[in-house]
Amino acid sequence: MSAYKPRVRSRGSRLAALFRTTILLLPCVLTLSVICPSAAAQETPYFVAYSHHLEEPGNLEIEAYSIYGTQKGGPDFIAPWMEFEYGVTAWWITELYIDTQHTFGGTDRTVFTGTRFENRFRPLMHEHWINPVLYVEFENTTGADKTLKEVVGTDTQFDAAEPNSEVNREHEHEVETKLILSSDYKGWNISENFIGEKNLGHEPWEFGYAVGVSRPLRLEATPRPCNLCRENFVVGAEMYGGLGTAKAFSLSGTSHYVAPIVSWQLPNGVTFSLSPGFGLNDNSHRFLLRWGMSYEVEGFGRKVRNLFR
Amino acid sequence: MRPALLALVLCFASLAVAAGADHDRDLDSRGVFQVIAKAPAKWRALKNPYEGQPDAIAAGEKLFRQHCAECHGDDALGRGRAANLHIGGVQNATPGELAWFLRSGNLPHGMPPWAGIPEQRRWQIIAYIKSLPLNISPRT
Repeated sequence: MSAYKPRVRSRGSRLAALFRTTILLLPCVLTLSVICPSAAAQETPYFVAYSHHLEEPGNLEIEAYSIYGTQKGGPDFIAPWMEFEYGVTAWWITELYIDTQHTFGGTDRTVFTGTRFENRFRPLMHEHWINPVLYVEFENTTGADKTLKEVVGTDTQFDAAEPNSEVNREHEHEVETKLILSSDYKGWNISENFIGEKNLGHEPWEFGYAVGVSRPLRLEATPRPCNLCRENFVVGAEMYGGLGTAKAFSLSGTSHYVAPIVSWQLPNGVTFSLSPGFGLNDNSHRFLLRWGMSYEVEGFGRKVRNLFR
Repeated sequence: MRPALLALVLCFASLAVAAGADHDRDLDSRGVFQVIAKAPAKWRALKNPYEGQPDAIAAGEKLFRQHCAECHGDDALGRGRAANLHIGGVQNATPGELAWFLRSGNLPHGMPPWAGIPEQRRWQIIAYIKSLPLNISPRT
């Protein structure tokens, strides 16, 4: 591990890599936005936390996200991932993630890091002050996965500093569960997630949390269609981190982050999101930058079914 | 890795096909009206602060096209089994009943809760729905 000596790269080349990644993902989503009919969802802007608002039934949301991170003792990295989120019913959604990662410098710099398959269920059929959602995910990833979609146990920035050539050989099969509690009040959404993750390779349960708060900049809609108006922007913040393991449930040795978020939800179904994140202790990555775009395809299930008629 | 990924994708696609069928079956107008009738008394009595305001109706129409037209159609005449919003069951409901229904949804019958949309926008949508003419027949 300590023999790993990354090549020094200029800030310009890092920016070029970020730009390339974004440019590669942009056409996928933008092409869809032109050829497929869209729908606007009631979305919260979070990258890590989940709210109780699920994808509308029959709709498919295609999301392309990336995270850029800095770390001590290792080179910076960028981890793009794709999400395909489908509303099976009004109370059940299913989602497939495809994760990749690029580390600046070193060998095996760009790697495919695995897939994740997630389901979310609303157990209560009515809206309440606090709305629970159950989340179950199966992860088939490698040790090189750096999407940081959740922080659990004693995950620290030092785990991510190992070279891809070594950690991409480690295959991890994990089950992740979440209890999502979420409320809407006077335009605000407040979401709390309690996370339990189990590596199926006989490791103890690891725990974590994520909390998110968000609100549109304007609560009323204007009569005319508009793109750059306040009603289309949602701002918020999220905080997340680890809570130790079943053997040592504590904050000791854990990492924590806080991240403001802004999201621009266009009426044509395209949403752009940006979130700079800041580590709150020495175990955390000092800086994380998440960004992405999503597009909602209306009536996807109906169209697929029609193909088989 | 590849067979596992293929299995996941196939699983995803078959769910989508199955859900396409469920989507149409579940949007049952009768179920919608039964649920509207269950609105609590305190909701039933609520007044729409935007009632009859032309700007609010225009904003409501814009929001309707963004969020609701996908199932109910651009003309609100219903699509598949999604309710025709011109008929008496909707037009005779009080604004408060519609506000409660829009917020709560009807999850077993495929209508998502729209609590994620700010309350002001939900009232604007209701102002638009209430401005629709009564008793237009659904498309054949």
